[in-house]
Amino acid sequence: MYSVVLTELGISVFNDGKLDKAFPFSNAVKEYLLVKNKESKLNELVNYLAGTQRGFAVSDESLLAILKKFSIDCHLMESSELDTIQATKPQIIVDSGFASNLQDTLGKLREFALGLSSSKVTEVSQSPDLHIIQAINSLDEIDKIANGLSSRLREWYGLHFPELDNIIDSINGYAQIVMAGKRESLTKQIFEEAGFPESKVEMLSLISSKSRGGDISDINLAIVQSIAKQVLDFHELRKQLEEHVEAEMQEIAPNLSAILGTAVGARILGRAGSLKKMASLPASTIQVLGAEKALFRSLKTGSQPPKHGLLFQHAMVHAAPRWQRGKIARAVAAKAVIAARVDVYGEGLNQTLLEKLNIRVDEIGKKYENPTEKDMRPPPSFRREGGFGDKPRRGGDRRRGDRREGGDRRRGDRREGGDRRRGDRREGGDRREGGYRDNPRREGGDRREGGYRDNPRREGGDRREGGYRDNPRREGGDRREGGYRDNPRREDQNSNKKRKKFGRR
Amino acid sequence: MEEDNQSFFWIKSEGQNKLATENMVPGNQVYKEKLIIKKNIEYRLWDPFRSKLAAAVMNDLDYFPFENKSTVLYLGASTGTTVSHISDIVGPSGIVYGVEHASRVARDFLDRVATYRKNIVPILQDARKPKEYFSVFGKVDVVYVDIAQPDQTQIAIDNCEMFLKKGGYFFLVIKTRSIDVTKAPKRIVEEEIEKLKPRFDVLQTIDLHPYDKDHAMVVSKYNH
Repeated sequence: MYSVVLTELGISVFNDGKLDKAFPFSNAVKEYLLVKNKESKLNELVNYLAGTQRGFAVSDESLLAILKKFSIDCHLMESSELDTIQATKPQIIVDSGFASNLQDTLGKLREFALGLSSSKVTEVSQSPDLHIIQAINSLDEIDKIANGLSSRLREWYGLHFPELDNIIDSINGYAQIVMAGKRESLTKQIFEEAGFPESKVEMLSLISSKSRGGDISDINLAIVQSIAKQVLDFHELRKQLEEHVEAEMQEIAPNLSAILGTAVGARILGRAGSLKKMASLPASTIQVLGAEKALFRSLKTGSQPPKHGLLFQHAMVHAAPRWQRGKIARAVAAKAVIAARVDVYGEGLNQTLLEKLNIRVDEIGKKYENPTEKDMRPPPSFRREGGFGDKPRRGGDRRRGDRREGGDRRRGDRREGGDRRRGDRREGGDRREGGYRDNPRREGGDRREGGYRDNPRREGGDRREGGYRDNPRREGGDRREGGYRDNPRREDQNSNKKRKKFGRR
Repeated sequence: MEEDNQSFFWIKSEGQNKLATENMVPGNQVYKEKLIIKKNIEYRLWDPFRSKLAAAVMNDLDYFPFENKSTVLYLGASTGTTVSHISDIVGPSGIVYGVEHASRVARDFLDRVATYRKNIVPILQDARKPKEYFSVFGKVDVVYVDIAQPDQTQIAIDNCEMFLKKGGYFFLVIKTRSIDVTKAPKRIVEEEIEKLKPRFDVLQTIDLHPYDKDHAMVVSKYNH
């Protein structure tokens, strides 16, 4: 009775429990993966097996599939045999000569595991959708920084030349003028070069001569100018990123881009984690991505579920009348998921998806042209009675949503409970910044995939219960025994107790 | 400082008694925890806010089967905080198999923990598919499960069937909010314990409050 056993370090052929022939891997990680992916040819092994008797028991399904391809008569081992192999694997490896002794085997297996794990990490990190996600997140981040910096720039330079603020809308033009220097040195030429129309150039040169602003020292101006420089640079970088995301999305997710547009598509991709993960999500999840807060509130209080999260930024949803948005968001989400699946498992751009979506959206537009009475009614308000102690949340019912809101929970609650009116179910918010701020998941940022251990909030300290580090009560771990603060006996009590429990074995 | 058993220690730091393990790789920090040298032995403080096993110890865990030379299967290794302490405890002749599926955290696990500690075997696989694990052999003394999945208990039981010794210990961290947000945590814990009963003797259930909210640790023994 022959058996073929796949181990991490090579393949062994046994005859009635005795080693017949061993085929060690020269590069264990690479070759093991080839076998597992059924890509290996295993010429030597196949030739050897073909030359011996038939009917091999094989220990691994992938290996079995490869051998079958070469029409070798073999079958999978029974589970009891597999168990035996599992239990005696180090011995098998030593017997096959893949390692010199048990100690060596352990070392080699660990090295193999490290190698294989590393290659997996490398493989995942190479996937292009992760880079798109980083790019779109950088873009949003840059918007945030640039916005803050811009208003600071307007404030600061405004001390010197306050009139400019009201005349120039584009921050890019404003920054260019700041770069030109002090009010007095501004000439028509500078305004023209910054790309303003003639009428504005006239007005600017008129105003600059009789401004109400104060003087600005050279040192201050130098700092203001370097801020202006940063703003201009960010502007440039943002443009690059936008083009980059656009191009990459068209490349790796053409269908998704067609349905959602590149920017919204990329953001939803970011929320989902990866293209593959997105393809495995249900459409209903995609529909509410970005509205987690409203979703969890709905789950726990029974309030209305959100109609759309990030999808609110989608042109079709955004432009639609309020009472149609939910329906359109649903249609868009449904097609978006199919698009993601085509992008992962299919090939090329599938035009019919977008056509069908357009048909459906037109249909919704016609069928629900006018709001029904129900649509006109404001959604029920979830105002809480009497401040903090609301019934549904009390006691053991503290739910995830709560925790994720970060910081001072109580304040968050009150805010939420406040005027909850119509627009509240939507978290999409402003088109560009779309409700991110409220979104607790952003905190975890890139690590969302797993390990909530990384959550920065867990670093002790600022939970409400407060840094245990400074809390004398937490000393020995047993809080029940009372007498905490200065009790000198405490240490002994504690250690005795533990000793009894875990005493040396 | 005084010794409580050979597994972990209570060390006086900043005027308080804190949990610590003896550092197997002197000088190596995993999560910026404090290192303390006493009598030429280096200890790593074990933060119960970061590690649920430490939280359980703080909350009067009665069973601590992790000891020198133990083999442990750890599902949900994450960035390896708890794994590193278990690695300290089992020592050079013990083994910790750390299973983690998410590659982002696994990267940190490999960089900070697995490469430095010779008794850790990293396994980047889905805990749902124990049959595909490589490099795990024989049966282990303890299975420790900390995966936040709705079906985490079933996944854990499947793994125990494949890898846990008869009479071995099973630590299950129940993150109730990952199982169902809408149910009361207490009920979820009870339901999960029911699932264990046919194959396990449930020994102790610990609420991890205040270190982790809505988390419980269930300690049981495999009586298969």
